[in-house]
Formats: sequence, structure tokens, C-alpha cells
Amino acid sequence: MTTIRIWFTKQDEASYISLLDLQRVMQRSLKRSGLPVWHTLGFNPHIYMTFACPLPLGQESLVESVDVKTEEENPDLEAWKAALSGAMPRGVEIVRVVKPDHKADAIAYACYTVSLPEEFKSGIDRYNAQESAIALKKSKRGKKEIELKEFLPTIPYEVENGLVKFQVQLPAGGDGLNLNPSLWLDYLNEHFGVDATRASVLRTRLLQKNLTDFS
Amino acid sequence: MFDPKLKEALAHVQKPGRYTGGEPGCVVKDKSKVDLRFAFCFPDTYEVGMSFLGMKILYELLNERPNWWCERAFMPWLDMKEQMERLEMPLYALESKDKLTDFDVVGFTLQYELSYTTILAMLDMAGIPLRAADRDDSWPLIVAGGPCVCNAEPLADFFDMMMLGEGEIQLPLVCEEIERAKKEGTPKKELLRRIAAIDGCYVPAFYDVEYEEDGRVRAITPNDPSAPAVITKAIIQDMNTQKLPTNFVVPMIGAVHDRAQIEVLRGCVRGCRFCQAGFLYRPMRQRDASLLDKAAQDLCANTGYEEISLTSLSTSDHSQLEELLDDMNEWAPREHVSLSLPSLRIDNFSESLIAKTNKVRKSGLTFAPEAGTQRLRDVINKNVTWDEIERSCTMAFKAGYTSVKLYFMMGLPTETMEDIEGIANTAQKVVDLFYSNPDKPKGKSVQVTISVACFVPKPHTPFQFVPQDTEESLKAKQQHLLHSVHSKKIHVNYHDSSTSFLEAVFAKGDRRLSRVLEAAYRKGCYLDSWEECFHYDTWLETFKEQGLSTEFYANRTIGLDEITPWSHLDYGVSHEFLVREYKKAQMAKTTEPCNRKCSACGANKLLGGACFDYDQNLVH
Repeated sequence: MTTIRIWFTKQDEASYISLLDLQRVMQRSLKRSGLPVWHTLGFNPHIYMTFACPLPLGQESLVESVDVKTEEENPDLEAWKAALSGAMPRGVEIVRVVKPDHKADAIAYACYTVSLPEEFKSGIDRYNAQESAIALKKSKRGKKEIELKEFLPTIPYEVENGLVKFQVQLPAGGDGLNLNPSLWLDYLNEHFGVDATRASVLRTRLLQKNLTDFS
Repeated sequence: MFDPKLKEALAHVQKPGRYTGGEPGCVVKDKSKVDLRFAFCFPDTYEVGMSFLGMKILYELLNERPNWWCERAFMPWLDMKEQMERLEMPLYALESKDKLTDFDVVGFTLQYELSYTTILAMLDMAGIPLRAADRDDSWPLIVAGGPCVCNAEPLADFFDMMMLGEGEIQLPLVCEEIERAKKEGTPKKELLRRIAAIDGCYVPAFYDVEYEEDGRVRAITPNDPSAPAVITKAIIQDMNTQKLPTNFVVPMIGAVHDRAQIEVLRGCVRGCRFCQAGFLYRPMRQRDASLLDKAAQDLCANTGYEEISLTSLSTSDHSQLEELLDDMNEWAPREHVSLSLPSLRIDNFSESLIAKTNKVRKSGLTFAPEAGTQRLRDVINKNVTWDEIERSCTMAFKAGYTSVKLYFMMGLPTETMEDIEGIANTAQKVVDLFYSNPDKPKGKSVQVTISVACFVPKPHTPFQFVPQDTEESLKAKQQHLLHSVHSKKIHVNYHDSSTSFLEAVFAKGDRRLSRVLEAAYRKGCYLDSWEECFHYDTWLETFKEQGLSTEFYANRTIGLDEITPWSHLDYGVSHEFLVREYKKAQMAKTTEPCNRKCSACGANKLLGGACFDYDQNLVH
């Protein structure tokens, strides 16, 4: 059995596919591709799939990945890429198809580019001027207070074409702490009236603990 | 690049995937290279509309022409409507995200009466004047198709044109005329005259309706030389000549029916007297098993669906059904596709049929006896006997099924409380059957669900003449049913009688109801089939304000010789036949299925000969 990692983008329309829906969408896309992907056994067989690091609804990404299995010993990965490319919804592009170098749990950080309308610049300035910024992170296990400044003492931004843009690197991955830029956007919204619904978030890289690319 | 306004709106709403488009299978063309743009509108939410096979058929049919582009639009849910109004975004089609006013044709499908105000809401959200008389030549042509066109007189003032019958036949012809008119700069009125010559095309403005003092229709008269006195529906004479759709748009957020579908036959031979579809789609025409098998395989390969259903009004009446299932079972398990049959009949449900749909997955069983006693089943011509119910359920229980759903109606003509008790008795006998089965699965109990709808008399059926049962009577019957059920294994669902009442009013309504629709919409009525959006008091108040009586439409006996609001609309079935069937119903006399014996309903004139080869026995 060979594991295959499919790297894809998730932008525009596709950024509104939730993880639950993405599983079904990918299942059907894989079926449409006609590729010999491995199905689980049992009463209700389905294609075996593992998504690396789910993205919140509405955010975009250049670095999404899903692992599937095949019984082919030496799959032609270029042929896989071509077959998959024709079967995806709008906003999903197949970037590359590889045999994975790392296990999915090797992800430790994710990098994001965040943009906001320029009118909200002062909100970021006020964040930067503060000593402390405590946010409440909700998870399945309950609520937890997080000192945002610990992870992002200041937000270094650029202004470009009427947009404030900044890049952040945050802890990510299934096991440990998983922080998303939405935590900062919600904080800016609550404290400084920054309209978080007008922000764009793009995930650009996934990194391991040693800060090399997860691949 | 995604429109920032749309992005902002989507950040505020539930299920944003309803509003983005971009699903696999959706068609995007270069708009500078198309000659005709068609917005196919479904007046309900995305999930409901995306379940509808008709849209998939016509979407593929229109988009096959390189120079036509058909897109989809649905009614936004309340949260999105609010955002679109806040951000001043007009209603758009999902593929191009262009506003509906950029289209040449805006077409609605009329599937149920309670969607009428949602059509007004969608036109309004697009900035299109509601009434046809208020739209000059600069507006898109607003058209309608679908079953409710058989009496969409309450909507007549809002549409430029309506299509009776099968869209596969007339819609391309209509679009060709529109394309030509656009090139030649033909005025709308002239275009409508040309369209009126196409089979099944009805231009409401070309007809005047006069009323008697008591509100009944006195006459319906054409006022334009191009308009025929009677409009006859369009029909596909041979279903085998009509390609099946093999490229569905596959929704990503799920739909009510999220699966591949192939339509095995159209129409129905059974002649159940309450069933409007059974009369509108006559005669029954089936497709060859080999064509269906090929289309099913292509459709599954193109969509990636894991389930395919064989749809029609009565799938088990297909004469080659077992053969078809055998063919499909050759490839379906290998492709991890499961087969389902949504509309099985109790009387020809067989053991091998269970086995053949069972190979991949097992779900609950559904039967529709419709009435609780044999007498009443004979009245409605639902030719099902208790023996058949018993035989089917025994078979199903032996095959390991433990849940059975039974569909019934209440408020049927001639119904008494005894018939209501019959519903509970039928369910109880099914429960008893389960426990008397020596091979029943160990440690499992049975669940029988009875679902009871309120009967709505519909145009073009033998029951069009009968009044609907009053709300008081229906409520009393619902209570009586609950008291008649004594087992915890039986679960009772029943429908709200007020929506059925409104459905009856609009089903048999006339053009005067357009005032009510418009006024109710202005007061906030739309998406009426959703409980949280249904404002019954507002509706009743609006009828009162407009000086129109709901009882006149719903609870009045229509004379057998009365001119109905739909008497100029011809679906092939003759008035004489409906009267004959109505009289037989009063005597609890049944009529045979039309593949067994022709009852001379008149619909064979649409095919130009006999509907069936009666030498061969098609019935099984």
C-alpha cells in the first residue's frame, strides 16, 4: 500500500467548503478522477482520506493537503496530478502529488497573510501600543485565556492599494496549541471595532518544529 | 477575484456554500461569446432546488448549445437576504455572479403553490418589476414551467409566458425564437406572438378572463389573433429519443436529495384519483433498460456520486426493471455505488427486487397505502389491498428490514372516522406481522411510522370538483387518529392543515389572487413552505383586505359543467374522463391501470395512437 499526498489550493468559492463538506467533495472528486484509490473495508466502504490541518470556513490557503492510499506500488504521480486536476471544484487547484516526506503530525506552525481595509489600520496600531492582549479561545475542551502578545508582540504591517497587510506565523497542528489569525481578528473587532468580516486570511506555508517546510 | 461585497456578506451567514457556485459540473462560459443568457430560478433554498431533477435536465440541455449559457439562481435564506439588502446587492446567478437583469430570460420552475410568493421575492431582489404590464422591452423575459403551470392563474399577471408540458421539447424552441428576436430587434409583443405558436406556450396577457357576480369564471377568451383558444401541453413522444443528463452539478454543501438520479419512465399508468402528477404527465412512456444502464454508469462516473436512484412516479411499473437492476448490479458494487428505488408500489414489490437493491446498502422501506380502509382506497383508485401490504411487509421483514414507513392522506372525499381508525389499524397490523414472523431478527424491534398528509384537491384530476375538508374537520380527524393508535411501536407524523389549506386555495385559484400574492409578499410572506417563515394570520388578513374568500376557492364544490380558471389549459386528459372518474369514485368503483386496459382518458391523442401495445403483457 502506498500513501500519496495531494497538495491543493483552496481559494475563492472553495474557501467556503467546510471540512465536513470537503471530505465529501474530495471523495467524489477522487471518484470522478477514476484513480485507483484505496477504499476502507467493511459494511460501508469509502475512500480512505486524511486531511492535514483543517482551515476555518471562509479562509483561503495555498497549502492544503490530503493523504490517500493506493494499492499501486509505483504510481505515476504526474498522471495522478493530471487526472485530479480535471475533477476539482472551482477554487481548488492541484499543486503537486507526492509521496509524503513527513507524517501529518509533524506540522508545528502555519504562516498566514492577513489583509484588512486600510480604515482599520488604527486598530492594529492600538494593539501594537498595548502591553497585554488577553483573548478567550474556545475549544471543545472549554474556554482558555490566551495572551496574544506572547505569540505576536506587535503586528508588523504594510499598506498597499488601500489594504493593510501583515504576515504571521502561529502554532498549528492537531496535538498541541492551534492558533488561528481569527483569534486576533476577533480581538481587534471586540476591542477596536475592526470589522473582522471584511478581513481576508490566506494560509501560505506549513512548517515543522525545526521551521523547515512540512512536505 | 472574488467580489469583496459578496465576501463580506458571506462572513455573516450560515452555510455560505449556498451562495458561491463553483461546484463540480457547473458550467462557466465566456459571456462575450454567448448569444443567449438564461437564468434558471428555483423559488426555494439551494438545498431544495439542487435536489430537483428537472433543473439538471434543462441545464444540461441548454448548455449543450455553445452560444447559450444557462445559469442557476435560488432564493437566499433570511440571513443572506438581509445581508444582500444591507450591501445593496441584487439577486445574482451562481455561475457568473451577474445580476438577473443581465439575462435575456429569467425562468422559474413552479413546483408547489407555496413557492409563489418566493418568486415575487426573487424578482424583487433582482430589481425586476413584479407585474408583466410594468415591464417594457428592456427587461428580461420572465417565464415559467413546471407542474403548477397547469393552473398558475394566480401568477398570470407576473409572467410574460408559461410553458405547459415537457420543457425538453419547447424550451429550446422558445430560446431559438428569443435569440432570433434579440438579433433582429423584434419587440417583445411580437416575440410573444411567435412563441404563442409553439406547443404548450401560454402567454397569459393574450387572454381575457370574465367573472360571474358570484366569483366563478364566466369566460376565458383570447384577445390576440396569435393565441389559440386552448393551449395543449408539449410532449416527448418517444422517451428513448431524449438523452438523459449525465453531468449533474454536484452540490458541495449537500442537498435534500444528494445523489445521482436517472428517470426510468415518465407519467404513470395507475390513475390514482388524487394524484395530479399522474394526470399531468400522461401517457406513461418508459426508456429502454440498456439506455438507462449506460446513462447511469456515465452519470456516476461524471459526478462521483456513491448512490443512484431510479426515479419516476412509479418505478416498479417499468417493464424491464429487474433486467435493468441486473445490468446495474454488474458494475455498481465494483464502483462502490448503491442503488435505490424511491417509489415502490406494494402490489408489485417482489423478493428479487429487495435483493437487487440490497447488494450495497439497506435502508428503511416506504409504502403508500394512502387510505386506511379498502373502501376508501377504492374511492381514490389506489388499487392496493391489505393482502398485498401483508405480503410485502412479510417479505421485507424476512429480508431483515425493521422499519416501515406508511404514507396516508386524510380529508379524502367520502372519508369517515371509520377510515381514520383504519389508518391506525393498518399500522397495528404491520406491527403484529413483525412479531408473528418466526425469522425476525433477534433482539430487534419494529418501528412503524405513519405519515399523514392533508388531502388537497388539485386541478386536472377527478377530484378537482370536490371541496377540501375544513380545517376544523381535519384537526378533529388528526386527534381521532392519535387516540386510535395504541402501540409505542407506531409513530404518527401529520402535516399542518393551514399550509394545505393555502395550497388548496392557490391550486384552484384564479387571476384575482395575484393581488393577494403581491400584498402578502409586501407584508413579508415568502418561503412559505418553511415553518419559521409561514405567517398564516398575515395571509388570512390579506385575503380579507383584498375582499376575496379563501373558502370560495378551497371549500366549494365545483359544478361538473363549470368553467374553471384552468379550462383553457389542456394536458391531454379530457373533461369527460375526469367527470367519469369522479362519478366512479362516488360509487367506490376502481379503474384499471392504463397499461392493462385503456380507459379512454384522451391523452393518447398526444402520441397520435394507442399508448401501449396491449398484445404484450406489460403488467407484472
